[in-house]
Amino acid sequence: MKKKRIASKILGALSVLTLTFLWAPVILIIVYSFSNSKYGSSWEGFTFKWYLKLFTNEQVRDALMRSLIIAGVTVVVSTLIGTITAYGLYKLNFRGKQFLRTSILLPIVFPSVVTGSALLVFFTRLIHIPLGFPSIIIAHIVFCSPLAVFIILGRMQRFDWSWEEAALDLGATPFRTFMRVTGPQLMPAIMASAMLIFPWSFDDFVITYFVAGVGSTTLPIYVFSQLRFGSTPVINTIGTLFVAVTMLGILLVYLVQKKTKTSG
Amino acid sequence: MQASGDISGSKSQAEKRAKRKLALELTTYLSPIIIIVVVFVFAPLAIILFFSFLKSGPYGQIVYAFTFENVGAILGGGYGKVFLKSVYLAVQTNLLCILFGYPIAYYITRFGGKWKTLWIFLIIVPSWSSYLIRLYALKTLVGTKGTINTLLMNLGIISEPIQILYTQFAVIMALVFAWLPFMILPIYAALDGLDRSVLEAATDLGATPFRRFFRVTLPLTRGGLLAGSILVFIPTVGEWLVPHIFGGSKIMMAGSLVAHKFTAVGNIPQGSSLAIMLAATLVLILYLTIKWGGREALEKAL
Repeated sequence: MKKKRIASKILGALSVLTLTFLWAPVILIIVYSFSNSKYGSSWEGFTFKWYLKLFTNEQVRDALMRSLIIAGVTVVVSTLIGTITAYGLYKLNFRGKQFLRTSILLPIVFPSVVTGSALLVFFTRLIHIPLGFPSIIIAHIVFCSPLAVFIILGRMQRFDWSWEEAALDLGATPFRTFMRVTGPQLMPAIMASAMLIFPWSFDDFVITYFVAGVGSTTLPIYVFSQLRFGSTPVINTIGTLFVAVTMLGILLVYLVQKKTKTSG
Repeated sequence: MQASGDISGSKSQAEKRAKRKLALELTTYLSPIIIIVVVFVFAPLAIILFFSFLKSGPYGQIVYAFTFENVGAILGGGYGKVFLKSVYLAVQTNLLCILFGYPIAYYITRFGGKWKTLWIFLIIVPSWSSYLIRLYALKTLVGTKGTINTLLMNLGIISEPIQILYTQFAVIMALVFAWLPFMILPIYAALDGLDRSVLEAATDLGATPFRRFFRVTLPLTRGGLLAGSILVFIPTVGEWLVPHIFGGSKIMMAGSLVAHKFTAVGNIPQGSSLAIMLAATLVLILYLTIKWGGREALEKAL
């Protein structure tokens, strides 16, 4: 018994070390975001001024707005496409289904540099879509829809389909059945995929960087452009807010899931 | 006679109707994703495949002349070595992630107790936080003017900053830092789903804890290890930001070559051939994964 306790202590120490490795850098920039130093990598007393400066920084505000619009459109379109695709893949049997599923996986597993460069060449050399909002939104939908498909498909496999059968048996049209029965029942899955896709799109740097062209600075591209100046208070504050929002989002998802579990 | 003919006639009509219904449903549900896959995935890949056999002119324009030059430069030259190095770094990252990830996942499952949710929360947050911001944070810690160097110099332990950035060590550390959560979570899920009675049976039958771990626990969590490895290995091979930030021009990976050719040099044919080669490498790895671990593991990993 004593031996076991020692083993668990060693394991615990190792785990704390690993967790420290994951969190120390992040905690560091959170601390520095409140530091008076203008270099952003040392502590010179507490201040709140970088946050005030951030809110009046027009470049940051522009980039944030652009990122929010892109992520918003991407979430809506990808979730819609994801839902109907998952429904089709789940319900229908046809030749080439396996092939289609594998093809949908491609944009997820390909390295971002491959997807980004292929889309860049495609947009500029073949179909001449202007670089900026249109190209970025298309690119985001291309790599986010597959994710939505597999998230929702995963939930559909653990889903009670008898309600839908009952509605169809009672004479509802397929469209009406989907809108009134299946759709609402799938809502938690649809919301989950939307919650996961939003940060996926909002945080994307590599693919966006390739297809953004000149002047369409999203928030990650802005952060990247500031990286060559080393540590700056501006990125420290942005980073702190990013982490805070991520934490809130995950807490929200956790609470919603807990609620649906206890009520259903 | 006539009656039976009628029946078979209506049967084939019903079949036809069912077929038409299937076709209609296929177009309604699946046409958007098929358009995305065909137009925005396959077509762009076909274009860069085509461009990879072309040449770049002296002013960065594309010369429409067929050549194997680019492909040759990868298979025979220095670029090939960069590809091998990328795979090597990804393997190393993956093994390190297992080495650090398994103990913490095991600890949380066995001894997490009431803190379990908090532990998992603290691992999920980094996995969903902005990747770029986390890499920036790590650079703030280990950079030449970073916190570690400043601290050690102020304490008088070193007189000159240690060069951590732009070494292979820095690249691997950053890769592990970036991808470790994605290894811990699937292993945790596998360990958490483990049937406790199997472990008790092993103990009752006289297995030592050591033997029990290697003969029962580890094989039963193979699925989690595989899922984690897919999540870590595949993105690592094509990594660009980590070698860009932590390797500089010293440590290049395949992804950095592609990005360099497109964004800095503007040599589209050469960049295309490198991108195609990278995609092919990934498809090969993916094929081997599906063959070895099954498609379910791959889709579950997502």
